[in-house]
Amino acid sequence: MALGLGIALGAQRVATEPGGTRLGLSLVLGALFGFVLQRARFCFFCLWRDFLDTRDPRGMLGILTALAAGLVGYALVLGAWMPDPSGTRLPPDAHIGPVGPVLVLAGLAFGAGMAVSGSCISAHLYRLGEGSPTAPFALLGTMLGFGLGFATWNPLYLASVSAAPVLWLPRHLGYAGALAAGLAALAGLAWLLHRLGRVPADTAAAGAPLTAIFVARWPTWIGGLAVGAIATASYLRVAPLGVTAEIGGRTRQAAAQFGLLPERLEGLDTFRGCATAVRDALLTPNGLFVGGLVLAALAAALAAGQFRPAWPSGAQAARGVIGGLLLGWGAMTGLGCSVGTLLSGIMAGAVSGWVFGLAMFGGATATLLAGRRLRLLP
Amino acid sequence: MRVAAEAKEPARESALVSTEWLEKNLDAPKLRLVEVSVEPGQYERGHIPGAQNVVWHSDLVETVTRDIAGPEKFATLLRRLGIDRDTTIVLYGDNNNWFAAWGAWVLAQYGLVDNVKLLDGGRKKWEAEKRPLDTRTPEVKASTFQAAQPSAGLRARFADVLAVARKEREEQILDIRSPDEFSGKVIAPAGVQELAIRAGHIPGSVNVPWAKAVNPDGTIKSTAELKALYAAAGIDGSKPIITSCRIGERSSHSWFVLSRILGYPVRNYDGSWTEYGNAVGVPVVNLAGTVWGGK
Repeated sequence: MALGLGIALGAQRVATEPGGTRLGLSLVLGALFGFVLQRARFCFFCLWRDFLDTRDPRGMLGILTALAAGLVGYALVLGAWMPDPSGTRLPPDAHIGPVGPVLVLAGLAFGAGMAVSGSCISAHLYRLGEGSPTAPFALLGTMLGFGLGFATWNPLYLASVSAAPVLWLPRHLGYAGALAAGLAALAGLAWLLHRLGRVPADTAAAGAPLTAIFVARWPTWIGGLAVGAIATASYLRVAPLGVTAEIGGRTRQAAAQFGLLPERLEGLDTFRGCATAVRDALLTPNGLFVGGLVLAALAAALAAGQFRPAWPSGAQAARGVIGGLLLGWGAMTGLGCSVGTLLSGIMAGAVSGWVFGLAMFGGATATLLAGRRLRLLP
Repeated sequence: MRVAAEAKEPARESALVSTEWLEKNLDAPKLRLVEVSVEPGQYERGHIPGAQNVVWHSDLVETVTRDIAGPEKFATLLRRLGIDRDTTIVLYGDNNNWFAAWGAWVLAQYGLVDNVKLLDGGRKKWEAEKRPLDTRTPEVKASTFQAAQPSAGLRARFADVLAVARKEREEQILDIRSPDEFSGKVIAPAGVQELAIRAGHIPGSVNVPWAKAVNPDGTIKSTAELKALYAAAGIDGSKPIITSCRIGERSSHSWFVLSRILGYPVRNYDGSWTEYGNAVGVPVVNLAGTVWGGK
């Protein structure tokens, strides 16, 4: 309660400063996003692992729900902003990136990082609010991974990224065509999940509304609908959802200060997405979004009795740092993570979102299976 | 009363409109309102009702030749905006009308001068006064605008500034970059792509950063204040002036202030430091001693 009130007051305070409307909104949307992630346990890796281990398709169907809701929402926004998508312009600051082998590599690395560290960056952020012992190490590793990404960016850019096409589906299919194709692809995946999956007998009691909202775990599809709505609202008013711009930007700033950055990062600042432009302001929309996310996840976890801080074991710390390293490198090189490139990208009609997503789940699966065979991963 | 005194100044009145005036005249049939902002998404997430969007880095330039939009591209744009030669065009944008002024400089080269005005204070003042914003895009009837070749009179070229640097010509160069860029401490502001090989400035140029012409609320300073500001740097309109910066865009704000409000003879040098600082065999002044980035 106190935390929720604190976030609301903070948002009010920030929004009354000149030019602060976006900052205030960012904090509120970040908090909503964190609350939803925590309540629905919206974690790309755990939901996929549920499907792999027990053939439970419900979590993955929740992710597809988020994408479908966001596709529809984005189509409404984009249609109003750019009535004719057939020109050479891309919608402002949408996460539409170059599609090529480097993107696949980034997705594979990110997926591997999820398998090693136990979740993606956004899930580590909400788990930080739950007191997870791994999350702080994973986030530290992510920052190091971003640094590694900056170090390897120039050769990758020159070898491949600079020539890779930036593919935006509405330009080629129109809004209606892109929406229909996107929804059909999601429906196809849903059918496949349903076909291959086994829905366990539902044992959870519905319970009183307050318990259902604040204590029991939400069905993932409800979380998915909420994520789609938050993504649309966020794109309309502030920026597309993304959780790595701030982490990346601050890492870049720190690395530059210590002279660890290449003199120039070729072409990087010409791309949209979770761009890592050096920040000079103390408060940025993405920083407040991430801050709100963590605080609201903490509030939600406290309310549900799920705030369980624990001392990290050596294995947890090691897996966090190594997995985070892969997550950070993948997010930097792929110009975003499971939220920016995958969710926001697919919703905006970017082919890069689909490619990153497929590579990410591929990388996670391969790493998990190999890690278990070697008895390195649970 | 400053406001009352300024209201009688024809140059200022012809160049600027107030937020109050604009809100009253939003529905005027011969008025077209155009936003030229720096930040992408600014227009889309809310603009002054009835405003149309112009994207500075693609709509108003020939991207390959690094030139202002050619007659064909320019005419296509103005037809889409529904602008004729007798239309009153009000430009505004974020960042104290920085790129809106650049838009005015491009329009002026195609002969659209007296009917082009800046919204005094731009987005900043409009929002601060809690005036309404809209997210819908207006649909206007296309015009039949025709464009001839742009006039060269408002644009300075490399040879012009070189002649001034070599003291072969009696003109003044006003460099509007930050003092650190001017002195050569830095080649460009942090985070920008376009660089020059050398740091410093064109010999004989004087430095008045562009933002000094603006009040904290985003409005352009009073005529008397502007005169004093530039006179302190030796610029009083008695000699022709060339405005310059890094890529020629910030400097069009000072071009607008000097030419449209003070009525001085001014040309903008859009090659600016990225062209001059990279040229071979030209003199530069580098007060910081950082030529070639080493000492």
